[in-house]
Amino acid sequence: MNTILTVLKKELKDTLRDKRTLISAIIIPALIIPVLLIGVTKLQSSLMKKEGDKQLKIALIGNTENFKKQMEDPGFKMFTNYKIDDAKSAVAKDSLDAILEFQPDFFANVDELKSGKMNLYYKSTNLMLYSRVSEKLEAIKSQILEERIKTLNISKETLTPFNVNKVDISTAKEVLGKTIGGFLPYIFIIFCFTACMYPAIDLITGEKEKGTMETLLSSPASRFQILIGKMLTITIVGLSAALMTIVGMVVGLKFLPNIPADFLATINDMVSAKFIIMLFAMLIPLSIFFAGILSATVIRAKSFKEAQTMVTPMMFVIIIPAMLAMIPGVMLNWQTAFIPILNIALATKEIIAGTINMAMYAAIVLSLIGFALLAAFVSYRQFSKESMVLK
Amino acid sequence: MIQLQNVSKQYTLSKQQQKELQTNASSVYAVNKVSFNCTPGRVYSLLGANGAGKTTTLRMIATILKPTEGNIMVGGENVIDHPEKVRQKIGFLTGSTNLYDRLTPGEIVQYFADLHGMDKVLFEQRKDMLFTHLNIHEFSKKRIAQLSTGMKQKVSIARSMIHDPSIVIFDEPTSGLDVITAYSIIELIKQCKVEGKTIIFSSHIMSEVDLLCDDLAIISKGNLIYADTMTNFRSQYIHQSLTEAFIDIVKEGGRRVPV
Repeated sequence: MNTILTVLKKELKDTLRDKRTLISAIIIPALIIPVLLIGVTKLQSSLMKKEGDKQLKIALIGNTENFKKQMEDPGFKMFTNYKIDDAKSAVAKDSLDAILEFQPDFFANVDELKSGKMNLYYKSTNLMLYSRVSEKLEAIKSQILEERIKTLNISKETLTPFNVNKVDISTAKEVLGKTIGGFLPYIFIIFCFTACMYPAIDLITGEKEKGTMETLLSSPASRFQILIGKMLTITIVGLSAALMTIVGMVVGLKFLPNIPADFLATINDMVSAKFIIMLFAMLIPLSIFFAGILSATVIRAKSFKEAQTMVTPMMFVIIIPAMLAMIPGVMLNWQTAFIPILNIALATKEIIAGTINMAMYAAIVLSLIGFALLAAFVSYRQFSKESMVLK
Repeated sequence: MIQLQNVSKQYTLSKQQQKELQTNASSVYAVNKVSFNCTPGRVYSLLGANGAGKTTTLRMIATILKPTEGNIMVGGENVIDHPEKVRQKIGFLTGSTNLYDRLTPGEIVQYFADLHGMDKVLFEQRKDMLFTHLNIHEFSKKRIAQLSTGMKQKVSIARSMIHDPSIVIFDEPTSGLDVITAYSIIELIKQCKVEGKTIIFSSHIMSEVDLLCDDLAIISKGNLIYADTMTNFRSQYIHQSLTEAFIDIVKEGGRRVPV
């Protein structure tokens, strides 16, 4: 045990002096999430405001003088001199934003208390256009409807058989679980794996390439002790990255502009000792699993570059189950509980929502431990081969 | 003491390797039935061309590789049965200065001392002695990446000797070094001999072999083709330099002379 701790102490010291590891395991996860969250939210708000304030250029096709008056709005500029084909071409070239084409019998139908038909031509890539124009059209429609109700001398209730009142009884925790609960594990799993990659290559392939592995193998430390020391180092770096990601996410959420008070309170509740312990009980074996599969892979490489080429495709294999967990309908059950990475992502969602089944959670932790031990065993088998550890 | 009895190291060849070596053989012997003994207080030198099997032999003694056949005893311990006990007794140094770039000389020496389970007080004494002898104090706090090749080799020596091993294994220790640094290694080997350590080293530099060794072995294509004391060697090849005699022996395929 002392020997393993000696190897661990030295590997940690060596690894933490490497700028690339510090950046990938600590700085990027801690900074990038809050910067993205706050930055993207602010940018989105600013873009939406800009789009909302933009004056839309709309062509009216047909006999539309009356309608033009009803559409009058500082946010719209109307054009009545376009032919339909020219107007469509102008929308395609972005010199017009939308076209309202009235069917020839539109106004006659409306006057006769029938339904008129119009076409709205626009590009869906133009943010907010449809909502702004349809909001205005709905207002005109409501006005016409009010007039018809008066004319027909009937009440509004006659036209509305029933109303549906939406009452959402999901808790703020459940809503939080559904919103960030899918995204958060995706991010910390990716960062955990990425953070493990570099130390694995440096401590195993790097040592082989530099020739220091031969020196270490001539010391009293056994191969098992050396490998465990290195795997523990890789695991610690991966866990640190996952922790920094979670911290970054929580900080980012707390400083989001215009965040509702109950949402903020739920975030504060989420960061409890219970949440941290439950999450880390899954993250620790997951990190060991990553350390094992990476060690078993990079030991086969003869150079740093070769090792990088080997581990890069693994990233895509890791992403797939993490992404699956974000798909609506993919739920935690007794099948998904035994699929590594997918199970931790789904369990995190449930833990945040406060709806985790403890028996299933125990099964997840045990299965992750099983996978971690298997990965460590495979890694040890590789490390025991002479052809693997020497250049 | 180091004892090798009919030691062989066989490697299986892949189809690719068979093609490259232009052979139908499914395996090759890097070392084939080599036997010799190294006794304490004497310097044993292993000579041979590149790829002869010297490094493989030294790696087997250092337990980095396992012999396929035969028996190796180092300090009374079998390298297969008790490799950890063997590694406690040996100091292993290679020509390429293999150190950790982000650590300092002090940290590297501390690491290997800890791996040997050295007592703290003894460690400080040994470190001070070695650092003074090798002039490492002046750069002991710099990281390895900032040091010259000669400085790194001095740190490698300190690293291999910190635990005062009774058996020293050097694989081309002066390869690529300047004259002054190479001289310090020669002096170290002489000092180890005076202290009664068992020393085995491989080298291409005949002048060093001539200066240092008491016993000599020549390996060619994995086979031990010559082994005898330096005294006997000089008397057998009296009219030739060591280099000329070595070349002749390798060309002829040599004759085995037990040490």
